Amino acid sequence: MKRIKTPLHILAILFVIFTAWALRSRALNNLSIDFDEDDYLRAGQEYTHLIQTSNWSGFLETNYRPEHPPLAKIIIGISLLSVPEKPLTPEAATSAGPNNYLPRDLVHSARTVNAIFGTITVAIVALINPLAGLFLAAHTFTIKYVSQVMLEAFPALTSLLVVLSYLQWKKGKRSKLNGWLILSAVFLGLTAASKYLYCVVGIAILIDWYLDAKEQDTLKTSLRTIILWGVLAIIVFFAFNPYIWTNPILRIGESIFYHAGYSSEAVEVQNAAYPVWQPFFWLFFSPYWWHEGVFPFPFDAFITILALFGLKRLWSKERLYVLWLGIAIAFLLVWPTKWPQYIITLTVPLTIAAAESMFLLRDNIFEWWKNRKTQDKVHYSKTETHRVLPWLIPGLIAFAVLTLFPLIFQFAVSMTDFNTTSIRDGFNGGIWRAISGGLTGEIPVTPADIGTRSNQVNFVGLSLYPVVSNFIAYLNGGSVLFFNIMWTVLSVLLQCGLGLAVALLLWQRGVRLGKFWQTLFILPWAIPEMIGAMMWVNIFQPDWGWLYLAVDKFGPDSLFGTFTNALDKSPSLWLVGFLLPAMWYGFPFMMLASSIGLKTIPKEVFDAASIDGASIWQTFKYVTWPLLLPLLIPAIIVRGIFAFNQFYLFQAFGFTDATLATLSYNVFNPTNGFGRYGGQFALSAAINILTIVILMIFVILFNRWSKAGEGVTYA
Amino acid sequence: MHKISFLRQFVTQILLAIVGFFVILPIWGIIRLAFDGSLRGRPTEFRLLPKIWSFDAFLQVLDKPYQSVDFIILLKNSLLVSFGAALIAIVLGMSLAYAFARFRFPGRQIGLVGLLLTAVMPPVAFMTPLYILLSLMQIRTTLMALVITYAAFAMPFCIWNMRAAFQAISKEIEEAAFLDGADDLKTFIYITLPLALPSIAVAGLIAFLMAYSEFTLGWLFVEKGDNLTLAMAIYAIVQSGNAQPWSYLGSLALIMSIPVVVIFIIFQRTLLERLMFGDAQ
Repeated sequence: MKRIKTPLHILAILFVIFTAWALRSRALNNLSIDFDEDDYLRAGQEYTHLIQTSNWSGFLETNYRPEHPPLAKIIIGISLLSVPEKPLTPEAATSAGPNNYLPRDLVHSARTVNAIFGTITVAIVALINPLAGLFLAAHTFTIKYVSQVMLEAFPALTSLLVVLSYLQWKKGKRSKLNGWLILSAVFLGLTAASKYLYCVVGIAILIDWYLDAKEQDTLKTSLRTIILWGVLAIIVFFAFNPYIWTNPILRIGESIFYHAGYSSEAVEVQNAAYPVWQPFFWLFFSPYWWHEGVFPFPFDAFITILALFGLKRLWSKERLYVLWLGIAIAFLLVWPTKWPQYIITLTVPLTIAAAESMFLLRDNIFEWWKNRKTQDKVHYSKTETHRVLPWLIPGLIAFAVLTLFPLIFQFAVSMTDFNTTSIRDGFNGGIWRAISGGLTGEIPVTPADIGTRSNQVNFVGLSLYPVVSNFIAYLNGGSVLFFNIMWTVLSVLLQCGLGLAVALLLWQRGVRLGKFWQTLFILPWAIPEMIGAMMWVNIFQPDWGWLYLAVDKFGPDSLFGTFTNALDKSPSLWLVGFLLPAMWYGFPFMMLASSIGLKTIPKEVFDAASIDGASIWQTFKYVTWPLLLPLLIPAIIVRGIFAFNQFYLFQAFGFTDATLATLSYNVFNPTNGFGRYGGQFALSAAINILTIVILMIFVILFNRWSKAGEGVTYA
Repeated sequence: MHKISFLRQFVTQILLAIVGFFVILPIWGIIRLAFDGSLRGRPTEFRLLPKIWSFDAFLQVLDKPYQSVDFIILLKNSLLVSFGAALIAIVLGMSLAYAFARFRFPGRQIGLVGLLLTAVMPPVAFMTPLYILLSLMQIRTTLMALVITYAAFAMPFCIWNMRAAFQAISKEIEEAAFLDGADDLKTFIYITLPLALPSIAVAGLIAFLMAYSEFTLGWLFVEKGDNLTLAMAIYAIVQSGNAQPWSYLGSLALIMSIPVVVIFIIFQRTLLERLMFGDAQ
């Protein structure tokens, strides 16, 4: 924890705490009753009753919804002591909808206590880093779930404290058990006694400790300490979990096995049918769209994107936070139940990483400013500036006519409601009338209308942009932007992986048929993209694709049948149907780039490595990969841009789910996502302008991200 | 490094064969269609090999691939549009590329970022505005419109690539010519351009291929059968469903791909470097 330095710092922290509380109290007053709130309120009421009747032995047998340990529920119970007791909330199946008849005063009281814990969490984060605190304060999913009668607020706080106390211990004598480590264990126990999921911090700490001990070579001496830490945590868990005192093994077993059964059998989990990547989606989503007027702005996606850029810096500063984030995400990906509240386990490290990226940005701007000053000294000679004009002017005219003008015109079109109904008017001067009239203020602004299509072109100002931004961020349970980013990352990873693997195989000395294989593998790259897409459609098309014809022939119980059956049910697998072709297209390019790169590495390096007795894996990890990576980065960027813009593949598949396709595809087919909006020309233009803005951000970020990226721009 | 052992050779070959299977599988699907003389519409049963081997589809496609339009017309349109687009993109972009490669002037950095941005934009970015603008000019359905559209797609990329090509030529040669009394234009025409020509040709080739294999925007613009390109004809067969034997689709796709594949295999390394925005060195 950094020392508090200046009054400004204190002011910043106070501001963050104030913001956090303001947003949370607004949420707790305005949020509608959600799923599960009735269950936890009932659980709390039972404890309230026990306390008020001083029936302490009742704690041994009371734990409504025993799949979650009782501590967070007991806290809800304590929070209800101040309000007059009400009849017990009726029991309901887990699949039941929200119970809107809950007594408001009870709900308010329980929510308030949770929100206080939520605010304390923010306050502690703000002490480490006020900016991270601010991000956490504004993170809408966090606000939502710590301001409801849920079990998130308390374990979110204690899991943070586990990490902070452990870090304090790490600063001091690492091998001894001291106050900080004991504190950390206690908090871990409390976390476990509230909600198991939050114990992922424990795993993160174990890994961090292991890495640390390995570096310091204190594995043996500190092993005892860390075991003590674990045992202590388990003891605290027992102490604060009276429900398991009478029959520990059975009841712990029950609560854990419940989760396994729940995720595979419960109706609501089955109905939600979330794909594997749903946790990522939640990170890019915001409950802003669920609860109107409760949250100021859907900050979540921005925080997540910032966090991605801050990870590297955070790792070098304090890797435990990154481990925490990584393990929590990995766990959520594997865990079959994917409720949005689970991401509260990782919003603290997420916001800390996001804050790091802001510092990174600050440093970059600072550096740019310094460089700018030195650049200013570079004198542009007048003669050279004169000499460039004859070259610049004709080129600029052509570029302006063919490229810039269409883009500017596009922006103008996005401020109208031009569509197929108004096409006649538009082509007879309607577009000019609307744009020029609108911009000079002669024609009033007609807000973009849903559903109606006028046969005249109207000026709608910038009112299409909120509609389209919403559409890109969130559309019927999916998100185009999120899909596009995930698509880019996954397809580039797969292409790189296969391309590099093949290049390494071919690069071994004395491989037979090397030329033959290389020529064969180039084919997918050489085949025009749309013909390649057609080839894959010929396999995956549901009516006449090979795969489905094979099902007809071999029956639904064959391997093909099982596969297509799974394919039809799950969006995660549909993604495979797109990723395979993407990998097919892209890996030859990466293979060639890797082969060329491998040839530039002098053979002596490898001879030296083999003399030193390095294994194949060690040679790759310490010699080949570090030397190869810088050569691959331009190729990776090219493939990334290509994947981000991928269009023909989705177009050829003729798949109409707008949220399972790239932005480019939606520019071409705005009506898939927008069937109920008029003005598809204008919509397409607006989606496109936003796409360009997103690309612009990426270009600038990647430019900063790597030296190779700088090469792409300034070479 | 020693030569690999027999076992390792064996495992390597197996792994390569698996990748080879993955590469060939979709290609084989199209080859199978192309040579199957039994198809009357879409394929209706699962087969690994054609039911009746036949070359008829190729002959038919080389005569009249789509409705009553001659193959020659389609080919001519394809070549015209692709060459036209590549030529416009190269010629018009050249001076800008040279300006950015050779001279320092205020606003250069921002200009470069702007150029890069347009070079990484998806082709569909230009679709809506060009559709409207070309409609307003009443030339949307002509081949000229396609030339302009594809030139607009390719130009930013070509500029970026030619800039890298010019930059790769050492400045000393130019300065020597300049000292001998040649002006900028002469230096460019007699010294720089011949040296950069191979790289420019590759950039042009990429622009050509972009236009050659484009079909969706083409279909949006063109209305008459006489103005179709080969790529558009292929898509038309898919869209027409059962109206034509799908062996046409397969054979046309093969006819279109083979020249491109040959070019790629010959020029693989140069193409790779150009496609990496000229920065692979």
